[in-house]
Amino acid sequence: MIPIKFFNPQEKQELLKHLKEQFGVNEIPWNLAKWGKERIIILPKEISKKEIESIDDAGRVENIGLYFAKEDIDGVRLSIEGSNLLKNQITKNIFEMDEKQLKNWMLGQQLDVPTEKRGFLVMKYKDDFLGTGKASENRITNFVPKSRRLKSKEI
Amino acid sequence: MRKNYEPKPLFLERMKELLGKDFDSYLEILKKEPVRSLRCNTLKISPESLKKRLEEKGWKIKIPFEDFPEIMIVDSDLLPGELGRALEHVLGYYYIQEIASMLPVLILNPKPNEKVLDLCAAPGSKTTQIGARMENSGILIANEVKFGRLKVLSSNLERCGVINAVITRKDGIALCKKFEKQNYFFDKILLDAPCSGEGTIRSVPKGLEMWNAKTIQNLSKLQKSLIASAISILKPKGELVYSTCTHAPEENEEVIDFALRNFYVKVEKINLPVKTRQGITNWKEKSYSPNVKLSCRIYPQDADTEGFFIAKIKKTK
Repeated sequence: MIPIKFFNPQEKQELLKHLKEQFGVNEIPWNLAKWGKERIIILPKEISKKEIESIDDAGRVENIGLYFAKEDIDGVRLSIEGSNLLKNQITKNIFEMDEKQLKNWMLGQQLDVPTEKRGFLVMKYKDDFLGTGKASENRITNFVPKSRRLKSKEI
Repeated sequence: MRKNYEPKPLFLERMKELLGKDFDSYLEILKKEPVRSLRCNTLKISPESLKKRLEEKGWKIKIPFEDFPEIMIVDSDLLPGELGRALEHVLGYYYIQEIASMLPVLILNPKPNEKVLDLCAAPGSKTTQIGARMENSGILIANEVKFGRLKVLSSNLERCGVINAVITRKDGIALCKKFEKQNYFFDKILLDAPCSGEGTIRSVPKGLEMWNAKTIQNLSKLQKSLIASAISILKPKGELVYSTCTHAPEENEEVIDFALRNFYVKVEKINLPVKTRQGITNWKEKSYSPNVKLSCRIYPQDADTEGFFIAKIKKTK
């Protein structure tokens, strides 16, 4: 049995409401589903629950769609891909990094900067959207997974 | 040779038989460093923007094929691992991929909204290329039987922002049987079959140490079973691209010949943007269907790539 639960329209609206409040997002043009307890994935509209069940019946489904976001007690945390896919819609709570901060961020380090904000911020460097960080008084906590980090500052 | 390895005499003998007067130029190209190539991930960035970004880093970028601007060659001296360390790579703006390995998907030509199966998908170079061509719509089933290779497949699909992929883990033959039972059919299938890898020795000379003729025979049997199973779940007029990164005719023309003799399929002519040679119709004491000539052999000395074999099959009934 695959650990997937598709969002119903109400759940999708609820998520959209959070994303609108947090980042100004107006539309999520994909199917949404929860994989496990926290991970929210997106799929194209052609991939329905029924379709996935047929595929799982034929071959063990190991992964589906794209990791988009995680639900957190303080809001919705967009993944790197989630922030990139929504980049044309994100209008607020953006933290623009300089080159040094970008390197530290992509190495997985927290940024020791006062933000005057609390909660989730979308991290941006020039045109690149690099996921979300959690701002507290004097720092931004990093959620870049190990698999997506730079291995050295030489980029 | 570029690195220390000893080709086995039987391997050399077979290559000499395949290549005739071109055998020496084949040996010569193996000494040369492979070209550094990458594929722009058009799900995330346009080829023009990527080229500009990479040139701003000081890299010299060439676009070798006008019709495929996503294919790029990095014509600069880079530090070891520099291509993989770049931010643009980490963000999935490009995939490091050998040019010959990009060709099967150009031939498969997957389109948005189709149902496509990549039967032997890991590590995901061709799967991510298919995803890009499908523009993230339709269904792309990426199957991989080896558990250890699923992680790299998943992580490459994620890095490249592919949303329409479903990863399955099952033996390819068993998977096709199940799909057939369910009447679940595909518009297009890529069968980039497990092979003896003779074509990759320029990049991975170590591969020659593992080469042996018995493996080729065993792989040939597996490849025939895989192609038979895959054909059974193609829609009528559906298309299958069969590819390997080996030169061994037992794993190439013999497999296509097997498909032609046993199923309602035809081989279609393909055009590639690199120099290719037609499939052979005689090898050792065997003769293959003349239509096998429509498949393509890619040799390193012809195209300055790795070696590959590609054939496109269409289901006629």
